[in-house]
Amino acid sequence: MFLEQLLNGLTLGSTYALIALGYTMVYGIIQLINFAHGEIYMIGAFVGLFMVSVLGTNIIVAMAGAMVFCMLVGMMIERVAYRPLRGKSSRLSALISAIGVSIFLQTLLALIAGINTRSYPNVINNRTFDLGFAEVSLLQILILGLSALLMIGLQIMIHKTRIGKAMRASSQDLDASYLMGINVNRVISFTFAIGSALAAAGGIMVGIYYNAVWPYMGMMAGLKAFAAAVLGGIGSIPGAMIGGLTLGVLEIMGVAYLTSSYKDAIAFGILILVLLIRPQGLLGQKVAKKV
Amino acid sequence: MKGRGRAIWAAVLSLVLIITMVAGCGGSSSQKDEDVIKLGFLGALTGDVANYGIPAKKGMEMAIQEINEQGGVLGKKLVGIYEDNKGDSAEIGNITQKYITRDKVAALVGDPCTGLTKVAAEIAQSNQVVLFSPGATGAGVVEIGDFIFRNTMLDEVAVPVVVDWMIKENGWTKFAIITSLNNGYSTALTPIFEREIKAQGGTIVIQESINDKETDFSAQITKIKGVDVDVLVFTGYYTEAALIMKEVQKQGLDLPMVGGDGLYGQDLVKLGGDAVEQKVILYCGFAADQPSEQTVKFVENYRKLYNEEPDMFSAQYYDAVMILAEAMKNTNSTDPKVYKDYIANLKDYPGVSGNTTIRENREPIKSPVYLVTVKDGVFPSLVTKIPVNVE
Repeated sequence: MFLEQLLNGLTLGSTYALIALGYTMVYGIIQLINFAHGEIYMIGAFVGLFMVSVLGTNIIVAMAGAMVFCMLVGMMIERVAYRPLRGKSSRLSALISAIGVSIFLQTLLALIAGINTRSYPNVINNRTFDLGFAEVSLLQILILGLSALLMIGLQIMIHKTRIGKAMRASSQDLDASYLMGINVNRVISFTFAIGSALAAAGGIMVGIYYNAVWPYMGMMAGLKAFAAAVLGGIGSIPGAMIGGLTLGVLEIMGVAYLTSSYKDAIAFGILILVLLIRPQGLLGQKVAKKV
Repeated sequence: MKGRGRAIWAAVLSLVLIITMVAGCGGSSSQKDEDVIKLGFLGALTGDVANYGIPAKKGMEMAIQEINEQGGVLGKKLVGIYEDNKGDSAEIGNITQKYITRDKVAALVGDPCTGLTKVAAEIAQSNQVVLFSPGATGAGVVEIGDFIFRNTMLDEVAVPVVVDWMIKENGWTKFAIITSLNNGYSTALTPIFEREIKAQGGTIVIQESINDKETDFSAQITKIKGVDVDVLVFTGYYTEAALIMKEVQKQGLDLPMVGGDGLYGQDLVKLGGDAVEQKVILYCGFAADQPSEQTVKFVENYRKLYNEEPDMFSAQYYDAVMILAEAMKNTNSTDPKVYKDYIANLKDYPGVSGNTTIRENREPIKSPVYLVTVKDGVFPSLVTKIPVNVE
């Protein structure tokens, strides 16, 4: 029972982690909380649903398609809504712009797809495996495996490739990186693209696993993922992963061993406690303010 | 050059604005005729509870069309006004205000949901307009005032019958109850089930809660899996019901779900798929195979008009319009203050959704209780019907 609940928590948490990565990467480089990120996740779920049920592609193609589509959407949002403001106005204007984009995308999808909840067709024949000490479903294994794969891939990309190095440099000091000849605009675009692709993958997995896709699904998921990113230490990539998983497990354990009435209250209560003790988050670094 | 381009744009935009404003005004002034009787529809055409509102609107339109074909009411034509309240309590407040103050409706028909009906009923009562809800099953609706009526299978009436059926017919004695905390219908229905299960000797082994719009129910179902229960009682709406049953299936559990007519909607099948097939059983006050003469005719005409099967909401909205029209005809008045007394004294009205009597306390009593399920992907499919003892 405990192990099964732990698995439930890790599955939920890994979807939070995939979204949280987008928040944390963008924040790490341009200190912007991209509130439209939850909507990218929602669009990913819809594009996947569209490809599977209307175009009839298989789920792997649909996932690739949704990830590519969301990459473009993410880059376009950055180009249209954030870049024109960068350097010219305060960071607060970009934040308001992000909220605007978020509302725009929600309403746009509500207009196109309607606000009713939709579900994925049975794309994967789910089965449960009895391991003796716990029962695991095939879907859980797939979601955990795929999330792990994506996150490992991300780590390799950031630490072993040129663009990854440029991202790390930009997150340390954007101006200095620019002076060193790094095309920071391209790095920022790329960051949005990668974050969006991960969110799209998360959206499809949630769509298949929880069977519910609707235009406002990004709002709560986005908030929780943002909380997960803060919990892990915003700006830190391993922090976002650990923060996401922790939040998912906390939520599930709260329901399992305390009460289901206070699901969110328990999770967010612990979040506040952690931040009171470690304001920089679990893996965040204390940065001395430059005066 | 750039500045001039902007000026032209601004001019074009303001022109468009002015035209739409003028058009809007023209539209509303032409409807100011005194020779029609307006009925305001309350229901959601989009959103989470649109599965109740869309068929409801069709039932209402059909009733109005039939009445008008037979000469209308008191020489006037009936006109339905249909705004989409999206299942939102702020929205229904605005729409009710608009119906009463701008459209000057003779009656409000709706809402299918108890919580929303209460919001509209407060406004209707203080403005002395009759509100007739063909769907609100929970407590505290007609108590709002003497202009408020409803015609549906009440939870208070149906639950004892359903619990009896679960315990006696099926031998289910160990219950799990799931409540949706941010759903007023659910939080009101759960105590009725609790009371009846205890009174009839069943055991509530576990109580869990969820929230509407949540999608992860894995922890709750894993908990239920850990205890021994015969049946899952869920008191919320169809969307969450379908998602819960998906989770039940995913965890390899074999458990039936029983609930109220909040589970009544085609999305139950669309979202639930084979996870709800003959697993979800709910009670309601209408099934299309009811053998009365009016019902047969209604079902035939409805099929002809819309090319689909009528459901509980279309039948009950149809009846509501018919009852209102009859009240107006018999009292020779479209004034709610006058015709409301006719509805208050309604006895054995032979509607298409069963016979209705309005009792002393202005609550309706309908019989029988229908239990329906999903069978071969078809909803609603009749499981059984149980007569209600009116006393």
